[in-house]
Amino acid sequence: MQPSSKVHLYDFEVASNDAVGEKVYRLVMRSPELASELRPGQFMNVAVPGDASHIVRLPFSFASTDPEAGTVELIYAVVGEGTRRLSEMPAGSTSTVVGPCGNGWDVKPGGRALAVAGGVGAPPVIAAARALAEAGREVDVVLGAQTKSRLWGEDDARALGAGEVVVTTDDGSYGMRGFTTQAMEALLARHEYDLVVTCGPAVMMAGVARLAEGAGVACQASLERMMTCGFGACSTCNVAMRAGGYKSCCMDGPVFDASEVAW
Amino acid sequence: MVSDVSMAVDLGGIKMKNPINTASGTFGNGWQFEGFYDVGQLGAITTKGCAAEPWDGNPAPRMCELPSGIMNSVGLQNPGVREFVRSYGDYLQGLEERGCRVICQVAGHSIEEYVRALELFEELAPFASGFEINISCPNVSRGGAAMGATPEAAAEVMAAVRPRTKRPIVVKMAPHDVAEIARALEAEGADALSLINTIPGMAIDVRTRRSKLSRPTAGVSGPAIHAIAVRMVWEAHKAVSIPLCGIGGVTSGEDAAEFILAGATAVSVGTQNLVDPTAAPRILGELTDWAASQGVSDINELIGAFEC
Ligand SMILES: Cc1cc2nc3c(=O)[nH]c(=O)nc-3n(C[C@H](O)[C@H](O)[C@H](O)COP(=O)(O)OP(=O)(O)OC[C@H]3O[C@@H](n4cnc5c(N)ncnc54)[C@H](O)[C@@H]3O)c2cc1C
Ligand SMILES: Cc1cc2nc3c(=O)[nH]c(=O)nc-3n(C[C@H](O)[C@H](O)[C@H](O)COP(=O)(O)O)c2cc1C
Ligand code: FES
Repeated sequence: MQPSSKVHLYDFEVASNDAVGEKVYRLVMRSPELASELRPGQFMNVAVPGDASHIVRLPFSFASTDPEAGTVELIYAVVGEGTRRLSEMPAGSTSTVVGPCGNGWDVKPGGRALAVAGGVGAPPVIAAARALAEAGREVDVVLGAQTKSRLWGEDDARALGAGEVVVTTDDGSYGMRGFTTQAMEALLARHEYDLVVTCGPAVMMAGVARLAEGAGVACQASLERMMTCGFGACSTCNVAMRAGGYKSCCMDGPVFDASEVAW
Repeated sequence: MVSDVSMAVDLGGIKMKNPINTASGTFGNGWQFEGFYDVGQLGAITTKGCAAEPWDGNPAPRMCELPSGIMNSVGLQNPGVREFVRSYGDYLQGLEERGCRVICQVAGHSIEEYVRALELFEELAPFASGFEINISCPNVSRGGAAMGATPEAAAEVMAAVRPRTKRPIVVKMAPHDVAEIARALEAEGADALSLINTIPGMAIDVRTRRSKLSRPTAGVSGPAIHAIAVRMVWEAHKAVSIPLCGIGGVTSGEDAAEFILAGATAVSVGTQNLVDPTAAPRILGELTDWAASQGVSDINELIGAFEC
């Protein structure tokens, strides 16, 4: 079989870019072809203009697409220079984006599913939960944040028709005080699941993967790595596998069968 | 602008329709870029360094950003020559047929490993127009840059690989002692030299006191190293008469033109491919325009035409 690449370079225009929390932003980009190609769990690699000395693109998942409007919704946290400059891109400004990157979630129909998100891991998890609900599954959602002002996704989780929506905050400022894994344990005790999907800090996902494995439930995890290209050309985004060796986060992932990852 | 400047060059027997090549490790094995443009329009591509047996490479993280560049510690992760040919051989054969020369990069930890990898390539990769011997990877603990650290060591590798193939051999050089090492390689029968590989650097997370990457040192690439690379190509040009491929921080036709003027016959686009995936054909267009603006009918007239 000949290898082939479906990743392209597209222009985009910022339709809106607003704070939705403390250092958390929602950017809607207009890029019709990208919007029609992206599948839940895939990501894109965005060039953020404004400083020629920063040459690397920033990888982002997306929360939703609207193929009719030709738009893609990103939720992102300002954590450094690149995301700070992204937060300053006004509506109407333009740049380029590489995508669609990666494999996406496996969202085939089945039994009850549990979606567990931490921080800005929420966008791809919400996209997965929506796709799972559309595939006819019952879906429960756990959303964790450091504090209430940094939480995103609760309204989206309720709007997609999730069964139970449980919010946790590290400081107890909203929802349950504690970690998503504690909420997950409680849900595992109450419901029969056949799939867990998760994205968030690596330590959280490792905990989620361990709980899922203990309960005998399949688990898909969306991983983050330092990425240079996003389309398989540089090997900088390696993920260590339990069986030994590495896989590519941007090509074999970002969604992995959690039981195959060497957490 | 349509130009009638002849852009064809000869990189030590590798007949390229234009001087634009791609730097090993920054272009996958070519097919990754077919979604962005027709790779067949490039003069050549150089594939990722590949050894006789598979290498895992280094743990994550393997990349961090620097001002005007990046630093990487991939460590020559590769599937081994057999799997490489099985996975990409048909594609690379097709690319050759489309007029783009395929240069396969050969990696090893020791002279025996270079020889073994080259023998496998020689047998299994009829599509390769030439081979590039990487004696300059800063990211492997054994072999790699150590194999090219002195003129004597570089000459020893070259002497061992030379009899294994009649196809052109390019040697990828480390960014130090360029003139002496270039002379040693030329004396042992290298057909061309490519330079530079990444420059060893360090980036420390001062909060944790640890390296930002999984190894203490890693290789710096991108615009930050361009001026250093141009200087080294010029030094090599003065030292040897075999053709050179200039590599380091090329982001525009102007950057490529600097290498040509400093004495390079071909120019590889590296890190820029990763952040600007349509860079290589754009740079080719800009280089062609520049050659026309210099009033020559053949790009070869501009090689080494730097005036000082
Ligand atoms: C597949 C994928 C999907 C992602 N999706 C989202 C998303 O939907 N929303 C969101 O807010 N963020 C997402 N990220 C993380 C986002 O790419 C980084 O936060 C961003 O690149 C940081 O850029 P910066 O210049 O602001 O920060 P820097 O100044 O470069 O770094 C600040 C901090 O962020 C960390 N960081 C930098 N780059 C990455 C990276 N590629 N992955 C993980 N951590 C990084 C650094 O280690 C450092 O601690 C995703 C990352 C990946 C790999
Ligand atoms: C991610 C990455 C991987 C690389 N892998 C290789 C490799 O396998 N073999 C090699 O000779 N050089 C490798 N290099 C070095 C490049 O080929 C090139 O020499 C160097 O990056 C300088 O060019 P640039 O500044 O245009 O990137 C790699 C560079 C990068 C950034
Ligand atoms: S980011 Fe380049 S191969 Fe994954």
